[in-house]
Amino acid sequence: MNVYLRELRAYRRSTIIWAASLSGLVVVFMSLYPAFTNDLAAVKKVFDQFPQVLLTALNLSSTAFFTVNGFYGYLLTFAGLAAAIQAMNIGTGIISKEVSGKTADFLLSKPTTRSRVITAKLAAALTSIVISDVVFWAVSYAAALLVSKDPFDAATFFLMSLTLLLVQLMFVALGALFAVSLPKIKSVISVSLPTVFTFYIIGMIGDVLDNDSLRYISPFKFYNTTYIITNVRLDGTFLLIEAAFLAVAIAASYVIYVKKDVRASV
Amino acid sequence: MNAIETTKLTKYYGKSRGIVDVDMTVSEGEIFGFIGPNGAGKSTTIRTLLGLIYPTSGSATIFGKDVIKRGPEIRQEVGYLPSEVFYYDDMRAIDLLRYSASFYNRSTKAIEKRIRYLADLLDLDLKKKIDDLSYGNKKKVGIIQGLAHEPKLIILDEPTGGLDPLIQQQFFNLLKEENGKGATVLFSSHILGEVQKLCDRVAIIKEGTIIEVEQIKTLLENSTKRFKLETVTAPDASAFEIGGVSDLAVAGHAVSFLYRGHINDVTQMLAKLDLADLLVEEPDLEEIFMHYYQKGDGR
Repeated sequence: MNVYLRELRAYRRSTIIWAASLSGLVVVFMSLYPAFTNDLAAVKKVFDQFPQVLLTALNLSSTAFFTVNGFYGYLLTFAGLAAAIQAMNIGTGIISKEVSGKTADFLLSKPTTRSRVITAKLAAALTSIVISDVVFWAVSYAAALLVSKDPFDAATFFLMSLTLLLVQLMFVALGALFAVSLPKIKSVISVSLPTVFTFYIIGMIGDVLDNDSLRYISPFKFYNTTYIITNVRLDGTFLLIEAAFLAVAIAASYVIYVKKDVRASV
Repeated sequence: MNAIETTKLTKYYGKSRGIVDVDMTVSEGEIFGFIGPNGAGKSTTIRTLLGLIYPTSGSATIFGKDVIKRGPEIRQEVGYLPSEVFYYDDMRAIDLLRYSASFYNRSTKAIEKRIRYLADLLDLDLKKKIDDLSYGNKKKVGIIQGLAHEPKLIILDEPTGGLDPLIQQQFFNLLKEENGKGATVLFSSHILGEVQKLCDRVAIIKEGTIIEVEQIKTLLENSTKRFKLETVTAPDASAFEIGGVSDLAVAGHAVSFLYRGHINDVTQMLAKLDLADLLVEEPDLEEIFMHYYQKGDGR
């Protein structure tokens, strides 16, 4: 419990900043919604002039774009990218900072086990992410209620919101796995940014090439907003894939972390 | 029961040697020195005892408990101070010490009281941020986090670097005090002088292997000192030929030699001379090692 609380405190600022930035993003974006929908015909005409490839790459081909849920779903594809960076940063950083800050000696020579340490740290990472997500969801929902002229389906709205957390979970786990496997991570950003962007670009390429198998590689494409809007549920196959990935990545992180030598800090 | 017992403890980092077949026994209540040059394997041994690294083969127990299987339980009773200390820069000294204390199953009040007492003794400002502390002051934080929970075994890995002589003295007194209350101390160092001041017994480690375990008294009797002196009148070389003198060089009024044996014998010899100046130097570790290597070759 002490490690958990200590980590929560250490990430307090980062949690607040991420929650505020994501919320700011959604407020700005949703405030554009009336402008897009007031003169639907004109906007659609503009969109028709774009090449189809560009619309696909930017996820603009969906006809649902002009509903509140569609508009919000579109925002989520970008918010998801930012949220994934947050998740990977914390997943990697919360473990690797003991090595890069050379505090592992202090922490692990205390009467505790390594699995207790990693459990506390993952729990703190999860808490930080859930807090910023909950703030983001609340602000998003309030913004949607404000700008929407017609009622929209709240279940769809929250299912879409939930995908943000689901994507983040995978990046926390991936970050933790990286942190325990790589010998020394000097800068968390230099690990997290390339990783997150690689997966994001893979997903984008999959969309443009209309290649469904790439969907299985990029967490960003696991939960398609169009699918959620149509079916009001998450794709079960991908929920299973995610669960399997999380189980393997987290189990591997525990095993590696418990077994590895904590080398003297030089 | 022994405080520490290692049996054929061996650690390889990949192919590079850490320690090989280390057998070491530290009895409860003694101050045990662990001496050897850098890279000899002192830290490797200590880190294995603390469960920070895993042995390649062999085993180790602390208070009869296996260091791998019962690590957390053992570490409740251990205080550890490494040679270089690193703490969380965003914390104040007191936060760090409270965080450290939170791991031990002791009364918060008692530990807090002891933190204040130790900080007072070592003259440390607990309200300062770790980031703003000088190296020596960080070291004091290290001493306090190692001793605040009154461990039964204190493990120190070259602890004196960065401490000024006054604090170092206070630290040694503190260790003796803890020892007086029954704590066992394992003190690793590459400086013979500090081991001499503190320890009852000493293990000498070189290239990953323990080459000798001796009472500090015996070690000193066997140890070499370098004498450099200047006499008023040019002396006769034969005046210095007593047992234990070696490497004798007489150049005009300047004389230099190595001496190994009872110190009284050499002072009696020197008393017969008319000295202008005298310098007696601590033998450095190499010289002590030379002694043991020669002995090893003879076997």
